[in-house]
Amino acid sequence: MASPSSAPARPPAFRSIGRSILLTLPIALWSLLMFTPSFRSGGRALSIGAVLVIVFMTSLFFLMMRTGETYRWRRIFFVALGFLFPVGFIASLIAERGTMSIPISRMVSGDTPFCFMVTPALILPAAFARTIVFPGSILPTASNPHSIAVMIGLWFAFTLVLGKAWCSYACFFGGMDEGFAAFGKRRRLHRFVTKYGSILRLIPWAILLCVVLLSAALFEPFYCMWLCPFKTVTEFPAVRDLETALQFGVFVTLFVGLVVVLPYLTKKRTQCGFFCPFGAFQSLFNKINLFDIRFDREKCFDCGLCQTSCPTVALSKESVREGKTLLNCMKCGACVDACKKDAAVWHLKGTPVAVKPERARLLFLYGAWALATMFGGSILANSIATMVHWLPLK
Amino acid sequence: MAALPLAASAGEALVLGLTTGPVCLASCGPVVLPWMLVQPKGIGPHSRQLLLFLAARLAGYMVFAAAAWLVGAAIPRAWSGRSWAYGGIELLLAIALLVYAAGWPRPRRALSEPSPRLVRIGEAPRPRPSGAVALGFLTGINLCPPFLVAGVRAAQLAHLSGALFFFLCFFAGTAIWFLPFLSLGFLQRTPAVVTVARMVAVLLACWYGFSGASLLIERIING
Repeated sequence: MASPSSAPARPPAFRSIGRSILLTLPIALWSLLMFTPSFRSGGRALSIGAVLVIVFMTSLFFLMMRTGETYRWRRIFFVALGFLFPVGFIASLIAERGTMSIPISRMVSGDTPFCFMVTPALILPAAFARTIVFPGSILPTASNPHSIAVMIGLWFAFTLVLGKAWCSYACFFGGMDEGFAAFGKRRRLHRFVTKYGSILRLIPWAILLCVVLLSAALFEPFYCMWLCPFKTVTEFPAVRDLETALQFGVFVTLFVGLVVVLPYLTKKRTQCGFFCPFGAFQSLFNKINLFDIRFDREKCFDCGLCQTSCPTVALSKESVREGKTLLNCMKCGACVDACKKDAAVWHLKGTPVAVKPERARLLFLYGAWALATMFGGSILANSIATMVHWLPLK
Repeated sequence: MAALPLAASAGEALVLGLTTGPVCLASCGPVVLPWMLVQPKGIGPHSRQLLLFLAARLAGYMVFAAAAWLVGAAIPRAWSGRSWAYGGIELLLAIALLVYAAGWPRPRRALSEPSPRLVRIGEAPRPRPSGAVALGFLTGINLCPPFLVAGVRAAQLAHLSGALFFFLCFFAGTAIWFLPFLSLGFLQRTPAVVTVARMVAVLLACWYGFSGASLLIERIING
């Protein structure tokens, strides 16, 4: 996997082993707490999955503490989440209904699992017509525990504290394009992205507006019906006629283009940075959450490494000169790790910039990793359990 | 028309407009919003553009009211050419959105002559009244569900003037729902906002174009 910078930004041992273990303890305890129910009632496969996830998440956090690097270790978790999520999800669909396509009967009965991507499209129809334009159930049911209220509640609580960090620590789709971006080292379309970055980063806002307006006009979740690349690896409306065949064609084209080919060519998260309308919506919450990344202008010498390393083009020369990131920063930590002068720092809003930035990083990471363990960790545990079922381990 | 039926008709149309206004708003929103976002900041320019849009929309309503009354209730309900109309109007909307998103047409000039009206990418184009008029008229004759309900009712009235009056009141009821668009006048017009609005117009044009074309193709195949 390609590192955001060619040379290590910090010495390999940023913190002593003892101190790193001490700082990792809360996350270890949180992980145990989260997965205790899996040991009690989950069966052998889920217990194995839970143990592996506890070890995995705790080890990664320990390495973050020990090395002082965030991006590299977070990416391992995030890519694992992105690639393992479809494994568990598709397996559960096949086991339950025998196909990845959504039968009309499931839509009518409101049994479609809710995906947070639809959230912005729900606002206008809910406000004007008191209607949720998604074929899911508002409260959890026995057949559909992934209800609208649960998902929106989780998302909202996390977003209020950490803002767009959702896109780097919780989204179960983002790891896919981040994974494909990590293959190989050569940036083939680097100049294109540098030249048109200022336009490319506006596209998600345009798609967000279109999706919100058309969902209200057509009274359907427009993004799910026509634009979601991840339908290819999750579930999609059953192909019955030319229209649904066309929809499926669009999903596959967008997936191959935005999640596989372009990330590989650009080394950027193209789906997340240049397409995802939910990401644009999430950017709004960067204004009101507690943490951001800032630049210490006294240390910065405008080398541009932070801009090159940013996977979503959330930095411009102007923004760095102002000591800030752009609104679409996902707080992945790539720029902080890439900066050789420690000019890019984690920052708790309302405190002076570059004063005890490690404290701000710790506070942020406790929140983000706790959510990653709870949300992404449970998805990972389920996927591992699915694979354990498949393996002939008797 | 007697005074009482006229008042009753006006009341019915107004209530119909008020209650179905959100649907009209949702139906016209994709066209109005990007158009308003490319206008210069300020409540004045926005009021002007919204008034032009609504006036053209009213003209569209009147045309439809007259047609509905002349041909009868068959137009809105079971007219066999309805999908032709739907498809055609959506295609025209797509073209209009594309034209105004690109800031075209511009006056022809010699290549060597610098244009004082040159609009750079990201800058707000000069206000074009014709854009609001074209988009307003096309959304005015677009057959959204509340509009069809009003069309059925207007077609049942005894006089053409009654049908026109009914649609005028219906229009007044729905127009109130468009007032929140004036608040867009307070939004800061950065180059990014204008660029996003133009992108939205192009994307919506693609959607309307696809939707209109598929309706027409389906109609041609099915006969």
